[in-house]
Amino acid sequence: MRILKLDAERAIALCESADRQRRSVEVALIEAPAEGDTLLVHAGVAIAIAGRGA
Amino acid sequence: MRFVDEFRDAELGRAVAGEILAKVKPGRHYKLMEVCGGHTHSIYKYGIDDLLPENVELVHGPGCPVCVIPMGRVDDGIALARREEVIFTCFGDMLRVPGSNGTLLDAKARGADVRMVYSPLDALRIAKANPDRTVVFFAIGFETTAPSTALTLKRAKAENVTNFLCMCNHVTIVPPLRALLESPDLRLDGFIGPGHVCTVVGARPFEFIPADYGRPLVVAGFEPLDVLQAIQMILVQLAEGRCQVENQYSRVVPYEGNLRALKVLAEVFELRPHFEWRGLGFISHSALRLSDAYREFDAEAAFDVPGVRIADPKACQCGEVLKGVIKPWECKVFGSACTPDHAIGTCMVSPEGACAAYYNFGRLAREREAV
Repeated sequence: MRILKLDAERAIALCESADRQRRSVEVALIEAPAEGDTLLVHAGVAIAIAGRGA
Repeated sequence: MRFVDEFRDAELGRAVAGEILAKVKPGRHYKLMEVCGGHTHSIYKYGIDDLLPENVELVHGPGCPVCVIPMGRVDDGIALARREEVIFTCFGDMLRVPGSNGTLLDAKARGADVRMVYSPLDALRIAKANPDRTVVFFAIGFETTAPSTALTLKRAKAENVTNFLCMCNHVTIVPPLRALLESPDLRLDGFIGPGHVCTVVGARPFEFIPADYGRPLVVAGFEPLDVLQAIQMILVQLAEGRCQVENQYSRVVPYEGNLRALKVLAEVFELRPHFEWRGLGFISHSALRLSDAYREFDAEAAFDVPGVRIADPKACQCGEVLKGVIKPWECKVFGSACTPDHAIGTCMVSPEGACAAYYNFGRLAREREAV
């Protein structure tokens, strides 16, 4: 899922999947997420960054 | 889409398949196990099997989290779901897993308040919205999913949510692999390592496989080119007489794993002395339970859970499929009495289950072959 909007303080990101579904994702477990990053998400929590940037 | 399309390039796939063909010795049979259910799904969905030489056989391992849950645990979950005060929450796949007397979906039809969630955080939200009920989350999954449960429990504790409980069925992948390697039934030449589990635990926990058992393991991603390249890397190791853990999925998996996630897991969970796996029996230190610091959220401590052991239906051969001893289509009830709509065994329930993946994709290729 790709980060559209990041709330770094609450460690939550609004993300969009390949099929354009949007969900909020917890990003507390990954290092320095940024808007445009592609995340590996399991059960609502990002466990890795699959790619940086838009 | 970035990070996806480039790993589905058919021309590159054919090129890697050519390299695989060049590496195999004609007289030798190669048996490789893909540990993770996600790989099983990719292999059948993309027809990867069809690109391999006949003497390279892929065997499906015990890496589908729904498939390894024994019937007794399903019955325990249903017993909790039937309680008047409980809202029972779980992932969608789990709803259709048969216990000895029906599924959680059947329990819901009979009046139990069973709700499907996408994340344990959704279950926590339900708890906060229903302070007069007790919300139980039936947690399943390997180290990939456990961080989500751990983070949810940390949040429940921080927010002092007192009506949220977790029935923990999280399992760990290394002990069943060791059990399989000790099994005399199964001779394996190498392993396709579970990429998503490795994003959390890293590749290091798998070093015992080359060190103690002399078999290579390549951590792999889930796109068709990932899986093909991992197979090629294993065959290169075998051809060169090497035996190591290698990381094909380095774009996502750091060799040391996700240290933040590991820290949260260590805080919230501890290893169970033993846990029953479908088809594999009891395996020591192969599952997680809540640590003392989080015991207040443990559904098994809060309620009297029956804890029964139920033997699988005689017709079902999920156990042998999970151990890689037989292929899905070799099961007596595959595709006849057992289908994704009317599953007898767990392997037919989840899309990651070998039987469901094979039923949905692979059997068509076999039917073509037969014609």
